[in-house]
Amino acid sequence: MRNRIIEDAKKIFYIAEKDAKIYFFKAPNLTFGLVLPVVLYLAFAIGRTVDAAFVVPGIVAIAAFFGAGAIQSVSLPLERRTGTFNSLVTAPLSLFEIMLGKALAGFFFGIVLSLFYMIIMIPFSFVSNLIFFALGIVVSSFMFSTFGLFLSAPFKDIPQAMPPATVVRIAMVFLGAVFTPITTLPAVLQTIAYALPLTYTVSTLRQAWGGNINVQMFLIDTLIQVAFAIFFLAAATKILQRTME
Amino acid sequence: MLSGNVIEVTDLTKYYRNLLAVDRISFEVRNQELFGFLGPNGAGKTTTINMLTGISKPSSGKVRIAGYDIIKEPVRVKELIGVAPDVSGVYDELTALDNIDFMAKLHGVSAEKRKARTKELLEVFDLHTRRNDRVGNFSRGMKKRLMIAATLVYEPKIVFLDEPTAGLDVQSSRQIRNLIKEMNQNGTTFFLTTHYIEEADQLCQRVAIINKGRIVTIDTPENLKKSAQTENVMEVSFNTPEDLSKQLSKLKHVSNVVRCADKYRLYVGDFSGMLPLIVDFAKRNYLKVTSIATLKPTLEDAFVSLTCERPDTLAGEKEKLDPS
Repeated sequence: MRNRIIEDAKKIFYIAEKDAKIYFFKAPNLTFGLVLPVVLYLAFAIGRTVDAAFVVPGIVAIAAFFGAGAIQSVSLPLERRTGTFNSLVTAPLSLFEIMLGKALAGFFFGIVLSLFYMIIMIPFSFVSNLIFFALGIVVSSFMFSTFGLFLSAPFKDIPQAMPPATVVRIAMVFLGAVFTPITTLPAVLQTIAYALPLTYTVSTLRQAWGGNINVQMFLIDTLIQVAFAIFFLAAATKILQRTME
Repeated sequence: MLSGNVIEVTDLTKYYRNLLAVDRISFEVRNQELFGFLGPNGAGKTTTINMLTGISKPSSGKVRIAGYDIIKEPVRVKELIGVAPDVSGVYDELTALDNIDFMAKLHGVSAEKRKARTKELLEVFDLHTRRNDRVGNFSRGMKKRLMIAATLVYEPKIVFLDEPTAGLDVQSSRQIRNLIKEMNQNGTTFFLTTHYIEEADQLCQRVAIINKGRIVTIDTPENLKKSAQTENVMEVSFNTPEDLSKQLSKLKHVSNVVRCADKYRLYVGDFSGMLPLIVDFAKRNYLKVTSIATLKPTLEDAFVSLTCERPDTLAGEKEKLDPS
């Protein structure tokens, strides 16, 4: 039993390694992942006075959000179109394990991009709790990667998968209180914001960066993100299974 | 160690919305058998192979591989099978070596064995010199060979090949067929789909003919040919490009004449007495007989008589029906 688990874990890792190599850690994707958070930040910040301690968690959250999830909108539909996904399906792994492997590739990519921004932002602002901030990055990167799979699971080709995924992501950036305090939003938008996973990422990162950490609140936000991740992964697997029938 | 029937299919049915792609098919494949699934484009071959290998779910019916139900115990089944799809299942962005290595890792092949087996297969499939090249630059034939190599690297007991030689050049096709024969002689069971009648005839111990989602018959190629023998066929050619079909059809015993390139197929009631008649015909028309032979019915004849399909429907590209 133990050997079986180790063997399966290795296979999941091989899928993640392959996806990371083929789809994620490539120059255009790295450039996209590094440039986009800055562009979005500038779109918000130009002409305003903003506190670095408020903005940095937002940029890191966006790096994790787009880094971990956006490429999933390409990798899964592309594999289905080219037929390589069938090679994975006929391997001795469950569909859930295959999806977990794919999620891990995005997870690693999200962590790398977020850490990059975290490190270059340190000179501009003080991170009050590095361990909690790192934990926030790890949990959110995994959640966003599963979210990317969830968005792309119904589709068998990239042109079908990209437009809805892009619309949902952009909408989430503006509704997820990334650059605006949630309390400043109208009541309706606040309700929507609380339903979005990005809101909880921003909350955890902001607490850890700014020093106003409330451990109980931090843990609740983290658990909500874990719950989102489990839901997205299970739902993506189920949707994929249905569309394969 | 496998024995008996390693593939058991009962009333397998597949609908794509309202389209019935596979209609209650049942058959068994014995251990170490080379079993062919022959049919025209859109007959349901790829749909069937996808259901047998767990790529898609049947609408109804049962599939048991080595005794395991594909729906209830898919991972058990996948530990025993290897699948080389018609559409390329290899990664264009990886090298040939990395593709094979990845498939071996996914099937739990140890590092030492992986290295040796990968090297051996790259040599067998004549890909050794291109092992470090990205597959995106490979020809269709090379990709197909690589896909089959990547399937064989983990030494599956039962191999499913979907159109293994479709679109390949003669040399690549021959290489793949020889390898299939050799592996089958060494104990591997093969289930292969093909729309090439010749391929089914040369390779398979038994053939199922599928048409419009239904199995028309299952038998050995020789028995299928015998069942198609309704008339005697004689093939003759003369030293002239002129069309002689009309004159030949007037000969005694000849019921029909079909011109095939520079030859004429004469459908005759009785062979005896035909030879002097043809020689006489040649003399009278100042011609020379350049070749003459009696023809046995082919698997193509059997296919035509069983399905009422024109044989040229077999010589196309892949099934149009999207199996995914």
